[in-house]
Amino acid sequence: MRMFATIAKLLVKRVLTAIPILLLVSALLFCILRILPVDPAAMSLPPNATVQEVEAMRTEMGLNLPLYQQYGIWLNKLFHGDIGRSIHFRQDVTSLIGSTLPATIELAVIAMMVATVFGLAGGLFLFYVRGTRAEAVMDFVSILLLSLPEFLWSLFLLLIFGVFFEVLPFTGRLSPGFERPLVTGFLLFDSLITGNIPTLLNALQHMILPCLALGIALSPSLMRVLRSSLLDAYQDDYIQQARLRGLSEKRILIRHGLKNAILPTLSLMGVQFGFLFGGTLLVEIIYSYPGMGNLMVDAIRNADLPIIQGAGLTYCVAVLVISIVVDSLYLILNPKLRVR
Amino acid sequence: MQQHAKGRPLPLWLKSGRVQTGLVIIFILVVCAIFAPYLAPNDPNEQNLLSILTPPVWADGGDAMFPLGTDSLGRCVLSRLIFGARVALTVAFTASIGAMIVGAFFAHVAGYFGGWVDWMIGRIVEIWLSFPPVILSLILMVGLGTGLRNVVLAIILVDWTRFCRVLRSEVIVLRRRDYVSAAQLIGFSHWRTITREILPGTLPLLITLMSLEMGVAIIVEAILSFVGMSVGSETAAWGQMIADARQNIYEAPFNLIAPIFAIFFAVFGFNILGDGLRRTLDTRLTQTERT
Repeated sequence: MRMFATIAKLLVKRVLTAIPILLLVSALLFCILRILPVDPAAMSLPPNATVQEVEAMRTEMGLNLPLYQQYGIWLNKLFHGDIGRSIHFRQDVTSLIGSTLPATIELAVIAMMVATVFGLAGGLFLFYVRGTRAEAVMDFVSILLLSLPEFLWSLFLLLIFGVFFEVLPFTGRLSPGFERPLVTGFLLFDSLITGNIPTLLNALQHMILPCLALGIALSPSLMRVLRSSLLDAYQDDYIQQARLRGLSEKRILIRHGLKNAILPTLSLMGVQFGFLFGGTLLVEIIYSYPGMGNLMVDAIRNADLPIIQGAGLTYCVAVLVISIVVDSLYLILNPKLRVR
Repeated sequence: MQQHAKGRPLPLWLKSGRVQTGLVIIFILVVCAIFAPYLAPNDPNEQNLLSILTPPVWADGGDAMFPLGTDSLGRCVLSRLIFGARVALTVAFTASIGAMIVGAFFAHVAGYFGGWVDWMIGRIVEIWLSFPPVILSLILMVGLGTGLRNVVLAIILVDWTRFCRVLRSEVIVLRRRDYVSAAQLIGFSHWRTITREILPGTLPLLITLMSLEMGVAIIVEAILSFVGMSVGSETAAWGQMIADARQNIYEAPFNLIAPIFAIFFAVFGFNILGDGLRRTLDTRLTQTERT
């Protein structure tokens, strides 16, 4: 029971601190994008519009008001679920983000799983070879891996598995000709509940390369933290105790070492997973994956301010949500909170 | 410590194989950047529309005039690679120095004064961290407009928090030391205490972080020029080369490999230098961890 109370307390506290952060972030976004030399009024009118028409549009859009008033109006609309209309796509920003966000979330979540698997396996291996000659080699390899960001991994994997061996698809979410079930927008989930196995398999194939790229790029930092947390844990007396009790090294590692080393690793993962969510942007562009990253870059190329603001804010919300989830997980896994 | 045959022994940090590897790589890149006009076989912007997307010289149909082939506009890949080192290194050095100065300043102020100053700076860093770095730098580039100076500025504005977070905790440890209290008792000004007593203690960490930041800056610049938000198209940059090669991936896969390798090579150089410096300069690491 105490655990739930602590988690509830943390959630309330984190959500309360997230609100001022988001307010400031939105103000920051608003200010940065208003320095832009483009005129949103002129852009939303046909090119042959007269100066008077542009001026009328400016007044209508509220662009002649002082900056803080414009921000106030924008914020007020935001609370009513309206973040404006895209100038380029001529659609509500909310619906544009709503249709692309599920794709990005699916990508990020599966990539996090990949990163966790690789990070855990690699960290255990790095720890296992400590003090041997293999350690120096592995250490070197981990620096090599750290020098390859997700951006380069995606291109690299695309080249090998997509172009040279032609074993995996590398554009979009589905091959042409596959039926797209639309229930929630989460393609994997939707095709699973509608029982559309061919679509599910095809979508999974399309996700292998982008998820591998994101996951592999994140794993070396997880490996290194896990390794040093394990080294710290092994300094403690309970490891020696376990040895004296005659437990096997494997059991000591899993039941005692890993159990204590996982918490510091988890607290790092919160920040890292937040960065991973940003990293999806590049991976989406490279694999032409129709998520929020592609929407954002399209918007940037067209100087489509409402989308840039909306998508930027959505990325921030995602980072904050991820860090709150990871922190709650930290509390759930922390055995010290289970004591009455 | 072994005495060198003549003169003074090498400082400990220079003996590290990692530091040496890193320095050699960076030296090669610096030579490429400075002597680019002499090293490059062709003008990096010269378009040869009669020979577009030619393969490298060792493949069938390769042309000795373009050792690594040409891109979709018939520009020499090798020359663009060599000239691209200029943008990469300029950004790496200036942006990391800028981010270091801003980050170190706030870290020392926050750690030294503590209290509400520390609280304020901590909250600002928190807001910054709620933005994925890629997204923030893209948005900043939209606001600032493209161009080399703005790329550097955007990276500084995004990455100063990297320095600030790590250095702040180091400053907090150092300011509790007796010699800092002694300096304050003698009547050193705050400024003098920070620069003369605390800064020498944080310097090793600062240098290490800077080396790693140079690698980060190269990646960020490549990302920005990949999406077309960095330097203009008349300047060769590795990210642009990747964007061009991505469009013609079936016809000329090698065009993609060359800039990927260049970025990896440069980032690896800075990372291994940073790792070597961390091991040799960090006074808290034990002797065994260093080797």
